[in-house]
Amino acid sequence: MARPTSFGRDSGLQARMLLTMFLLGLVYVAFIGVLFAAGAGAITIVFFAGAMFLVQLFAADKLALRAMGAKEVSPAEAPELHALIERLCVQADLPKPRIAVVDTPMPNAFAMGRSQKKAVVCATTGIMQLLSPAELEGVMAHELTHVINRDVVIMTVASFFASIASMITQFGFFFGGGSSDDDDGPSWLAVVLISLLVYVISFMLMQALSRYREFAADRGAAVITGRPSALASALLKISGVNERIPTQDLRAAGEMQAFFITPVGHRISGLFATHPPIEKRIAALERLESQLQGTALASAA
Amino acid sequence: MSLFDALLGRHKVKGPAPDRLFALSTAYVDLEAGHGVKTRGSAGIVFQALATADFQQIVSETQELLQGTGQETGTQVETRDDEYGYRWVVLRDPDIEDLVVAVNTVGDGLAVGGYADRILAAVFAFEDSQGQPMYLIYNYKRGKWYPFVPASGEKQRSNERELQLKAQIGAGLPMEPELERWFPLWGAPI
Repeated sequence: MARPTSFGRDSGLQARMLLTMFLLGLVYVAFIGVLFAAGAGAITIVFFAGAMFLVQLFAADKLALRAMGAKEVSPAEAPELHALIERLCVQADLPKPRIAVVDTPMPNAFAMGRSQKKAVVCATTGIMQLLSPAELEGVMAHELTHVINRDVVIMTVASFFASIASMITQFGFFFGGGSSDDDDGPSWLAVVLISLLVYVISFMLMQALSRYREFAADRGAAVITGRPSALASALLKISGVNERIPTQDLRAAGEMQAFFITPVGHRISGLFATHPPIEKRIAALERLESQLQGTALASAA
Repeated sequence: MSLFDALLGRHKVKGPAPDRLFALSTAYVDLEAGHGVKTRGSAGIVFQALATADFQQIVSETQELLQGTGQETGTQVETRDDEYGYRWVVLRDPDIEDLVVAVNTVGDGLAVGGYADRILAAVFAFEDSQGQPMYLIYNYKRGKWYPFVPASGEKQRSNERELQLKAQIGAGLPMEPELERWFPLWGAPI
Protein backbone atom coordinates (compact mmCIF):
# COMPACT_ATOMS: atom_id res chain seq x y z
CA MET A 1 0.00 0.00 0.00
CA ALA A 2 1.37 3.37 -0.97
CA ARG A 3 1.16 5.99 1.73
CA PRO A 4 1.23 9.69 0.85
CA THR A 5 3.76 10.61 3.56
CA SER A 6 5.27 9.09 6.66
CA PHE A 7 4.20 12.05 8.75
CA GLY A 8 0.73 13.39 9.43
CA ARG A 9 -0.20 17.04 9.30
CA ASP A 10 -0.02 19.36 12.24
CA SER A 11 -3.23 21.30 11.79
CA GLY A 12 -3.09 22.67 15.33
CA LEU A 13 0.23 24.39 14.69
CA GLN A 14 -1.05 25.83 11.43
CA ALA A 15 -4.23 27.13 13.08
CA ARG A 16 -2.22 28.85 15.81
CA MET A 17 0.11 30.36 13.23
CA LEU A 18 -2.79 31.64 11.16
CA LEU A 19 -4.49 33.13 14.23
CA THR A 20 -1.29 34.91 15.23
CA MET A 21 -0.83 36.36 11.76
CA PHE A 22 -4.47 37.45 11.75
CA LEU A 23 -4.12 39.23 15.09
CA LEU A 24 -0.91 40.88 13.95
CA GLY A 25 -2.62 42.08 10.79
CA LEU A 26 -5.54 43.39 12.85
CA VAL A 27 -3.24 45.39 15.12
CA TYR A 28 -1.46 46.83 12.10
CA VAL A 29 -4.63 47.80 10.26
CA ALA A 30 -5.88 49.62 13.34
CA PHE A 31 -2.49 51.32 13.62
CA ILE A 32 -2.53 52.52 10.01
CA GLY A 33 -5.99 53.96 10.68
CA VAL A 34 -4.67 55.97 13.60
CA LEU A 35 -1.67 57.19 11.60
CA PHE A 36 -3.87 58.41 8.78
CA ALA A 37 -6.15 60.15 11.24
CA ALA A 38 -3.13 61.88 12.77
CA GLY A 39 -2.25 63.47 9.44
CA ALA A 40 0.77 64.21 7.32
CA GLY A 41 3.55 63.91 9.91
CA ALA A 42 2.77 60.28 10.47
CA ILE A 43 2.58 59.55 6.75
CA THR A 44 6.14 60.84 6.38
CA ILE A 45 7.22 58.41 9.04
CA VAL A 46 5.57 55.59 7.13
CA PHE A 47 7.56 56.57 4.03
CA PHE A 48 10.82 56.59 5.94
CA ALA A 49 9.98 53.28 7.51
CA GLY A 50 9.08 51.90 4.08
CA ALA A 51 12.51 52.84 2.78
CA MET A 52 14.11 51.24 5.81
CA PHE A 53 12.03 48.15 5.23
CA LEU A 54 13.37 47.78 1.69
CA VAL A 55 16.92 48.26 2.89
CA GLN A 56 16.31 45.65 5.54
CA LEU A 57 14.87 43.21 3.04
CA PHE A 58 17.63 43.64 0.47
CA ALA A 59 20.74 44.34 2.52
CA ALA A 60 20.07 42.87 5.94
CA ASP A 61 21.44 39.46 5.11
CA LYS A 62 24.79 40.85 4.00
CA LEU A 63 25.01 43.11 7.03
CA ALA A 64 24.02 40.30 9.36
CA LEU A 65 26.57 37.92 7.89
CA ARG A 66 29.26 40.54 8.28
CA ALA A 67 28.20 41.31 11.84
CA MET A 68 28.43 37.62 12.68
CA GLY A 69 31.85 37.32 11.10
CA ALA A 70 30.54 34.69 8.71
CA LYS A 71 32.79 33.74 5.83
CA GLU A 72 31.49 32.08 2.72
CA VAL A 73 33.25 28.76 2.11
CA SER A 74 33.92 26.91 -1.13
CA PRO A 75 33.43 23.15 -1.57
CA ALA A 76 37.20 22.70 -1.29
CA GLU A 77 37.32 24.55 2.05
CA ALA A 78 34.41 22.71 3.69
CA PRO A 79 33.83 19.56 1.64
CA GLU A 80 31.83 17.70 4.31
CA LEU A 81 29.43 20.57 4.98
CA HIS A 82 28.92 21.15 1.25
CA ALA A 83 28.26 17.48 0.53
CA LEU A 84 25.84 17.21 3.44
CA ILE A 85 23.85 20.27 2.34
CA GLU A 86 23.89 19.21 -1.31
CA ARG A 87 22.20 15.94 -0.48
CA LEU A 88 19.61 17.70 1.64
CA CYS A 89 18.97 20.08 -1.26
CA VAL A 90 18.29 17.18 -3.61
CA GLN A 91 15.88 15.72 -1.07
CA ALA A 92 14.17 19.05 -0.36
CA ASP A 93 14.19 20.06 -4.06
CA LEU A 94 16.03 23.33 -3.40
CA PRO A 95 18.69 25.08 -5.46
CA LYS A 96 22.01 25.05 -3.64
CA PRO A 97 22.32 27.95 -1.19
CA ARG A 98 25.57 29.72 -0.43
CA ILE A 99 27.31 28.23 2.57
CA ALA A 100 29.13 30.20 5.23
CA VAL A 101 31.02 29.36 8.39
CA VAL A 102 31.56 31.42 11.55
CA ASP A 103 34.70 30.67 13.49
CA THR A 104 33.44 30.51 17.08
CA PRO A 105 33.18 27.73 19.67
CA MET A 106 29.52 28.66 20.29
CA PRO A 107 27.49 25.92 18.57
CA ASN A 108 24.88 27.52 16.35
CA ALA A 109 23.51 27.74 12.84
CA PHE A 110 21.28 30.16 10.96
CA ALA A 111 19.83 30.87 7.54
CA MET A 112 19.54 34.23 5.81
CA GLY A 113 18.26 35.58 2.53
CA ARG A 114 14.92 36.70 1.20
CA SER A 115 14.50 34.02 -1.47
CA GLN A 116 15.63 30.48 -2.22
CA LYS A 117 18.11 31.76 -4.80
CA LYS A 118 19.60 34.33 -2.41
CA ALA A 119 19.73 32.04 0.58
CA VAL A 120 22.81 31.64 2.75
CA VAL A 121 23.04 28.94 5.40
CA CYS A 122 25.65 29.33 8.05
CA ALA A 123 27.12 27.02 10.66
CA THR A 124 29.65 27.77 13.37
CA THR A 125 32.82 25.76 13.72
CA GLY A 126 31.56 24.93 17.22
CA ILE A 127 28.45 23.15 15.95
CA MET A 128 30.42 21.19 13.38
CA GLN A 129 32.74 19.88 16.10
CA LEU A 130 29.99 19.22 18.62
CA LEU A 131 27.49 17.25 16.53
CA SER A 132 27.63 13.91 14.79
CA PRO A 133 27.00 13.99 11.01
CA ALA A 134 23.37 12.86 11.41
CA GLU A 135 22.71 15.53 14.04
CA LEU A 136 24.36 18.24 11.95
CA GLU A 137 22.23 17.09 9.04
CA GLY A 138 19.10 17.60 11.16
CA VAL A 139 20.20 21.11 12.09
CA MET A 140 21.02 22.08 8.51
CA ALA A 141 17.66 20.65 7.37
CA HIS A 142 16.02 22.89 9.99
CA GLU A 143 17.81 25.90 8.49
CA LEU A 144 16.91 24.85 4.94
CA THR A 145 13.27 24.62 6.04
CA HIS A 146 13.51 28.26 7.15
CA VAL A 147 14.63 29.00 3.58
CA ILE A 148 11.79 26.94 2.07
CA ASN A 149 9.24 28.59 4.36
CA ARG A 150 10.62 32.07 3.55
CA ASP A 151 10.89 32.88 7.21
CA VAL A 152 13.24 35.82 6.68
CA VAL A 153 10.70 37.60 4.48
CA ILE A 154 7.77 36.69 6.69
CA MET A 155 9.45 37.92 9.87
CA THR A 156 10.67 41.10 8.14
CA VAL A 157 7.16 41.88 6.93
CA ALA A 158 5.75 41.01 10.33
CA SER A 159 8.15 43.38 12.05
CA PHE A 160 7.56 46.27 9.60
CA PHE A 161 4.81 48.07 11.50
CA ALA A 162 6.28 47.16 14.83
CA SER A 163 9.41 49.05 13.82
CA ILE A 164 7.35 52.07 12.72
CA ALA A 165 5.55 52.00 16.05
CA SER A 166 8.84 51.80 17.86
CA MET A 167 10.21 54.75 15.83
CA ILE A 168 7.20 56.90 16.67
CA THR A 169 7.46 55.96 20.31
CA GLN A 170 11.11 56.93 20.48
CA PHE A 171 10.57 60.06 18.39
CA GLY A 172 7.72 61.12 20.64
CA PHE A 173 9.69 60.58 23.82
CA PHE A 174 12.67 62.51 22.52
CA PHE A 175 10.82 65.57 21.33
CA GLY A 176 8.06 65.57 23.87
CA GLY A 177 5.39 65.79 21.20
CA GLY A 178 6.34 69.30 19.95
CA SER A 179 3.82 72.11 20.05
CA SER A 180 2.03 71.81 16.71
CA ASP A 181 -1.39 70.95 18.03
CA ASP A 182 -3.93 71.41 15.28
CA ASP A 183 -7.25 70.41 16.64
CA ASP A 184 -8.41 67.84 14.11
CA GLY A 185 -7.44 64.24 14.63
CA PRO A 186 -5.89 62.69 17.69
CA SER A 187 -3.12 64.62 19.41
CA TRP A 188 0.52 63.70 19.03
CA LEU A 189 0.60 62.34 22.56
CA ALA A 190 -2.24 59.97 21.73
CA VAL A 191 -0.38 58.73 18.65
CA VAL A 192 2.72 58.10 20.76
CA LEU A 193 0.72 56.19 23.35
CA ILE A 194 -1.04 54.14 20.71
CA SER A 195 2.28 53.44 19.03
CA LEU A 196 3.67 52.22 22.30
CA LEU A 197 0.69 49.92 22.72
CA VAL A 198 0.99 48.67 19.12
CA TYR A 199 4.67 48.07 19.65
CA VAL A 200 4.16 46.00 22.80
CA ILE A 201 1.32 43.91 21.39
CA SER A 202 2.90 43.34 18.00
CA PHE A 203 6.19 42.45 19.67
CA MET A 204 4.54 39.68 21.64
CA LEU A 205 2.63 38.44 18.60
CA MET A 206 5.82 38.44 16.55
CA GLN A 207 7.63 36.41 19.17
CA ALA A 208 4.74 33.95 19.14
CA LEU A 209 4.90 33.76 15.36
CA SER A 210 8.64 33.19 15.56
CA ARG A 211 8.11 30.29 17.95
CA TYR A 212 5.56 28.70 15.63
CA ARG A 213 7.98 29.07 12.71
CA GLU A 214 10.59 27.24 14.79
CA PHE A 215 8.21 24.35 15.39
CA ALA A 216 7.44 24.30 11.68
CA ALA A 217 11.14 24.27 10.83
CA ASP A 218 11.81 21.42 13.27
CA ARG A 219 9.00 19.50 11.69
CA GLY A 220 10.23 20.27 8.17
CA ALA A 221 13.71 19.08 9.13
CA ALA A 222 12.29 15.80 10.45
CA VAL A 223 10.32 15.31 7.25
CA ILE A 224 13.32 16.06 5.01
CA THR A 225 15.81 13.84 6.82
CA GLY A 226 13.38 11.16 8.03
CA ARG A 227 15.27 11.24 11.33
CA PRO A 228 13.40 13.30 13.94
CA SER A 229 15.42 11.81 16.80
CA ALA A 230 18.72 12.97 15.32
CA LEU A 231 17.52 16.58 15.45
CA ALA A 232 16.20 16.08 18.99
CA SER A 233 19.57 14.80 20.08
CA ALA A 234 21.27 17.75 18.35
CA LEU A 235 19.02 20.21 20.20
CA LEU A 236 19.86 18.55 23.52
CA LYS A 237 23.58 18.79 22.84
CA ILE A 238 23.43 22.39 21.60
CA SER A 239 21.26 23.65 24.45
CA GLY A 240 23.47 21.98 27.00
CA VAL A 241 26.50 23.80 25.67
CA ASN A 242 24.82 27.13 24.96
CA GLU A 243 23.66 27.48 28.53
CA ARG A 244 27.10 26.84 29.91
CA ILE A 245 29.14 28.97 27.52
CA PRO A 246 29.70 32.53 28.75
CA THR A 247 27.82 35.19 26.84
CA GLN A 248 30.69 37.27 25.49
CA ASP A 249 29.31 37.11 21.96
CA LEU A 250 25.90 38.25 23.03
CA ARG A 251 26.17 41.85 21.81
CA ALA A 252 26.87 40.66 18.32
CA ALA A 253 24.19 38.03 18.65
CA GLY A 254 21.33 40.18 20.00
CA GLU A 255 19.55 41.07 16.77
CA MET A 256 20.21 37.70 15.22
CA GLN A 257 18.44 35.58 17.82
CA ALA A 258 15.35 34.91 15.73
CA PHE A 259 17.30 33.06 13.07
CA PHE A 260 19.40 30.86 15.31
CA ILE A 261 18.78 27.18 15.75
CA THR A 262 18.60 27.79 19.51
CA PRO A 263 18.92 31.13 21.32
CA VAL A 264 22.17 31.88 23.08
CA GLY A 265 22.84 33.20 26.54
CA HIS A 266 20.16 33.93 29.09
CA ARG A 267 16.90 32.10 28.78
CA ILE A 268 13.84 34.22 28.27
CA SER A 269 10.76 32.12 28.48
CA GLY A 270 7.08 32.46 27.83
CA LEU A 271 5.63 35.35 25.85
CA PHE A 272 8.91 37.08 25.07
CA ALA A 273 10.96 34.19 23.72
CA THR A 274 11.81 33.85 20.02
CA HIS A 275 12.24 30.10 20.40
CA PRO A 276 10.02 27.56 22.11
CA PRO A 277 11.56 25.81 25.10
CA ILE A 278 13.82 22.93 24.16
CA GLU A 279 11.63 20.45 26.05
CA LYS A 280 8.62 21.32 23.91
CA ARG A 281 10.60 21.08 20.69
CA ILE A 282 11.94 17.69 21.71
CA ALA A 283 8.46 16.49 22.68
CA ALA A 284 7.21 17.52 19.21
CA LEU A 285 10.07 15.66 17.54
CA GLU A 286 9.36 12.60 19.69
CA ARG A 287 5.77 12.62 18.42
CA LEU A 288 7.07 12.73 14.85
CA GLU A 289 9.40 9.81 15.51
CA SER A 290 6.56 7.71 16.91
CA GLN A 291 4.40 8.65 13.91
CA LEU A 292 7.19 7.44 11.67
CA GLN A 293 7.64 4.20 13.58
CA GLY A 294 3.91 3.79 14.18
CA THR A 295 2.80 4.09 10.56
CA ALA A 296 5.71 1.88 9.65
CA LEU A 297 4.41 -0.87 11.91
CA ALA A 298 0.85 -0.44 10.65
CA SER A 299 1.76 -0.86 6.99
CA ALA A 300 4.10 -3.77 7.66
CA ALA A 301 1.34 -5.72 9.36
CA MET B 1 5.41 25.32 -3.10
CA SER B 2 2.54 27.74 -2.87
CA LEU B 3 2.58 31.05 -1.04
CA PHE B 4 -0.02 29.71 1.37
CA ASP B 5 2.14 26.72 2.24
CA ALA B 6 5.06 29.05 2.89
CA LEU B 7 2.92 31.31 5.08
CA LEU B 8 1.85 28.34 7.16
CA GLY B 9 5.31 26.83 7.24
CA ARG B 10 3.84 23.68 5.80
CA HIS B 11 6.38 21.61 3.99
CA LYS B 12 6.12 18.16 2.53
CA VAL B 13 8.89 16.21 0.91
CA LYS B 14 8.35 16.06 -2.79
CA GLY B 15 7.73 12.69 -4.34
CA PRO B 16 9.36 11.63 -7.58
CA ALA B 17 8.65 13.47 -10.82
CA PRO B 18 7.23 11.54 -13.81
CA ASP B 19 9.79 8.91 -14.64
CA ARG B 20 12.38 9.83 -17.28
CA LEU B 21 14.86 7.17 -16.28
CA PHE B 22 14.44 5.06 -19.40
CA ALA B 23 15.40 7.96 -21.66
CA LEU B 24 18.99 6.96 -20.92
CA SER B 25 18.87 3.75 -22.93
CA THR B 26 18.20 5.60 -26.20
CA ALA B 27 20.45 8.55 -25.39
CA TYR B 28 23.31 6.14 -24.70
CA VAL B 29 23.20 4.78 -28.23
CA ASP B 30 24.06 8.26 -29.59
CA LEU B 31 26.64 8.94 -26.89
CA GLU B 32 28.50 5.73 -27.62
CA ALA B 33 28.34 5.91 -31.39
CA GLY B 34 28.87 9.67 -31.81
CA HIS B 35 31.11 10.69 -28.92
CA GLY B 36 32.96 7.60 -27.76
CA VAL B 37 31.38 7.62 -24.31
CA LYS B 38 31.18 4.09 -22.95
CA THR B 39 29.45 2.65 -19.89
CA ARG B 40 31.68 1.45 -17.07
CA GLY B 41 29.14 -1.26 -16.37
CA SER B 42 28.00 0.11 -13.05
CA ALA B 43 25.19 2.20 -11.68
CA GLY B 44 23.75 3.02 -8.30
CA ILE B 45 20.60 4.35 -6.75
CA VAL B 46 20.90 6.37 -3.55
CA PHE B 47 18.23 6.91 -0.92
CA GLN B 48 17.80 7.81 2.75
CA ALA B 49 17.78 4.67 4.85
CA LEU B 50 14.95 5.11 7.35
CA ALA B 51 15.35 3.32 10.65
CA THR B 52 11.95 1.64 10.54
CA ALA B 53 11.20 -2.06 10.39
CA ASP B 54 9.18 -2.04 7.16
CA PHE B 55 11.74 0.08 5.34
CA GLN B 56 14.54 -2.39 6.04
CA GLN B 57 12.24 -5.18 4.91
CA ILE B 58 11.35 -3.45 1.62
CA VAL B 59 15.02 -2.87 0.84
CA SER B 60 16.02 -6.46 1.49
CA GLU B 61 13.03 -7.82 -0.46
CA THR B 62 13.95 -5.62 -3.43
CA GLN B 63 17.51 -6.82 -3.23
CA GLU B 64 16.39 -10.46 -3.21
CA LEU B 65 14.17 -9.80 -6.20
CA LEU B 66 17.12 -8.31 -8.07
CA GLN B 67 19.36 -11.21 -7.17
CA GLY B 68 16.68 -13.51 -8.59
CA THR B 69 16.39 -11.69 -11.91
CA GLY B 70 20.14 -11.14 -11.89
CA GLN B 71 20.67 -14.84 -12.53
CA GLU B 72 19.10 -14.35 -15.97
CA THR B 73 20.50 -10.94 -16.88
CA GLY B 74 23.85 -11.29 -15.11
CA THR B 75 23.32 -8.12 -13.06
CA GLN B 76 25.21 -8.12 -9.76
CA VAL B 77 23.71 -6.38 -6.74
CA GLU B 78 25.20 -5.06 -3.53
CA THR B 79 24.14 -2.60 -0.83
CA ARG B 80 26.49 -0.01 0.62
CA ASP B 81 26.14 2.79 3.15
CA ASP B 82 28.14 5.91 2.33
CA GLU B 83 29.91 8.26 4.74
CA TYR B 84 26.91 10.63 4.81
CA GLY B 85 24.50 7.96 6.06
CA TYR B 86 22.76 7.34 2.74
CA ARG B 87 22.22 3.87 1.35
CA TRP B 88 23.26 2.79 -2.12
CA VAL B 89 22.11 -0.18 -4.11
CA VAL B 90 25.02 -0.72 -6.47
CA LEU B 91 24.43 -2.63 -9.69
CA ARG B 92 26.99 -4.06 -12.08
CA ASP B 93 26.22 -5.16 -15.61
CA PRO B 94 28.00 -4.44 -18.90
CA ASP B 95 24.65 -3.84 -20.60
CA ILE B 96 23.24 -0.35 -19.97
CA GLU B 97 19.70 -1.55 -20.67
CA ASP B 98 19.92 -4.08 -17.82
CA LEU B 99 21.32 -1.40 -15.49
CA VAL B 100 18.42 0.96 -16.21
CA VAL B 101 15.91 -1.84 -15.63
CA ALA B 102 17.58 -2.85 -12.36
CA VAL B 103 17.70 0.75 -11.07
CA ASN B 104 14.04 1.07 -11.97
CA THR B 105 13.27 -2.12 -10.02
CA VAL B 106 14.79 -0.62 -6.87
CA GLY B 107 12.89 2.64 -7.39
CA ASP B 108 9.64 0.76 -7.91
CA GLY B 109 10.23 -1.39 -4.85
CA LEU B 110 10.61 1.68 -2.63
CA ALA B 111 7.67 3.43 -4.31
CA VAL B 112 5.35 0.46 -3.78
CA GLY B 113 6.34 0.47 -0.12
CA GLY B 114 5.35 4.15 0.08
CA TYR B 115 8.89 5.47 0.33
CA ALA B 116 9.28 7.06 -3.11
CA ASP B 117 9.97 10.41 -1.43
CA ARG B 118 13.17 9.03 0.14
CA ILE B 119 14.93 8.40 -3.20
CA LEU B 120 17.45 11.05 -4.18
CA ALA B 121 19.16 10.03 -7.37
CA ALA B 122 20.39 7.32 -9.68
CA VAL B 123 23.97 7.49 -10.91
CA PHE B 124 25.40 5.83 -14.02
CA ALA B 125 29.15 5.59 -14.53
CA PHE B 126 30.72 6.21 -17.96
CA GLU B 127 34.14 6.92 -19.38
CA ASP B 128 35.27 8.85 -22.43
CA SER B 129 37.70 7.61 -25.06
CA GLN B 130 40.67 8.57 -22.83
CA GLY B 131 39.26 6.49 -19.98
CA GLN B 132 38.33 9.59 -17.95
CA PRO B 133 35.41 8.81 -15.58
CA MET B 134 32.16 10.71 -15.96
CA TYR B 135 28.74 10.28 -14.44
CA LEU B 136 25.18 10.94 -15.48
CA ILE B 137 22.94 11.60 -12.51
CA TYR B 138 19.17 11.29 -12.54
CA ASN B 139 17.40 13.46 -9.96
CA TYR B 140 14.21 11.63 -8.98
CA LYS B 141 12.57 14.70 -7.44
CA ARG B 142 12.79 16.64 -10.67
CA GLY B 143 12.85 13.92 -13.32
CA LYS B 144 15.93 15.56 -14.81
CA TRP B 145 19.43 14.44 -15.75
CA TYR B 146 22.75 16.20 -15.31
CA PRO B 147 26.40 15.33 -15.86
CA PHE B 148 29.03 15.13 -13.15
CA VAL B 149 32.69 14.89 -14.15
CA PRO B 150 35.29 14.82 -11.37
CA ALA B 151 38.61 16.50 -12.17
CA SER B 152 42.00 15.86 -10.64
CA GLY B 153 42.48 17.42 -7.22
CA GLU B 154 40.51 17.33 -4.01
CA LYS B 155 36.77 17.43 -4.81
CA GLN B 156 37.26 19.35 -8.05
CA ARG B 157 34.90 18.95 -10.95
CA SER B 158 35.43 19.73 -14.61
CA ASN B 159 32.60 22.10 -15.48
CA GLU B 160 33.96 22.37 -19.02
CA ARG B 161 33.64 18.66 -19.62
CA GLU B 162 30.20 18.61 -18.00
CA LEU B 163 28.91 21.34 -20.29
CA GLN B 164 30.42 19.55 -23.31
CA LEU B 165 28.68 16.37 -22.26
CA LYS B 166 25.41 18.25 -21.92
CA ALA B 167 25.81 19.56 -25.47
CA GLN B 168 26.67 16.10 -26.77
CA ILE B 169 23.58 14.57 -25.21
CA GLY B 170 21.51 17.38 -26.69
CA ALA B 171 17.81 16.66 -26.72
CA GLY B 172 18.32 12.97 -25.99
CA LEU B 173 17.82 13.35 -22.23
CA PRO B 174 15.68 15.79 -20.24
CA MET B 175 18.51 17.88 -18.77
CA GLU B 176 18.38 19.98 -15.60
CA PRO B 177 18.39 23.59 -16.85
CA GLU B 178 19.47 25.19 -13.53
CA LEU B 179 23.20 24.76 -13.03
CA GLU B 180 22.88 25.37 -9.29
CA ARG B 181 21.03 22.07 -9.15
CA TRP B 182 23.86 20.05 -10.68
CA PHE B 183 24.68 18.54 -7.31
CA PRO B 184 27.83 16.44 -7.29
CA LEU B 185 27.79 13.08 -5.55
CA TRP B 186 31.25 12.59 -4.14
CA GLY B 187 32.27 9.22 -2.91
CA ALA B 188 29.62 7.33 -4.87
CA PRO B 189 30.48 3.66 -4.34
CA ILE B 190 30.18 2.75 -8.02
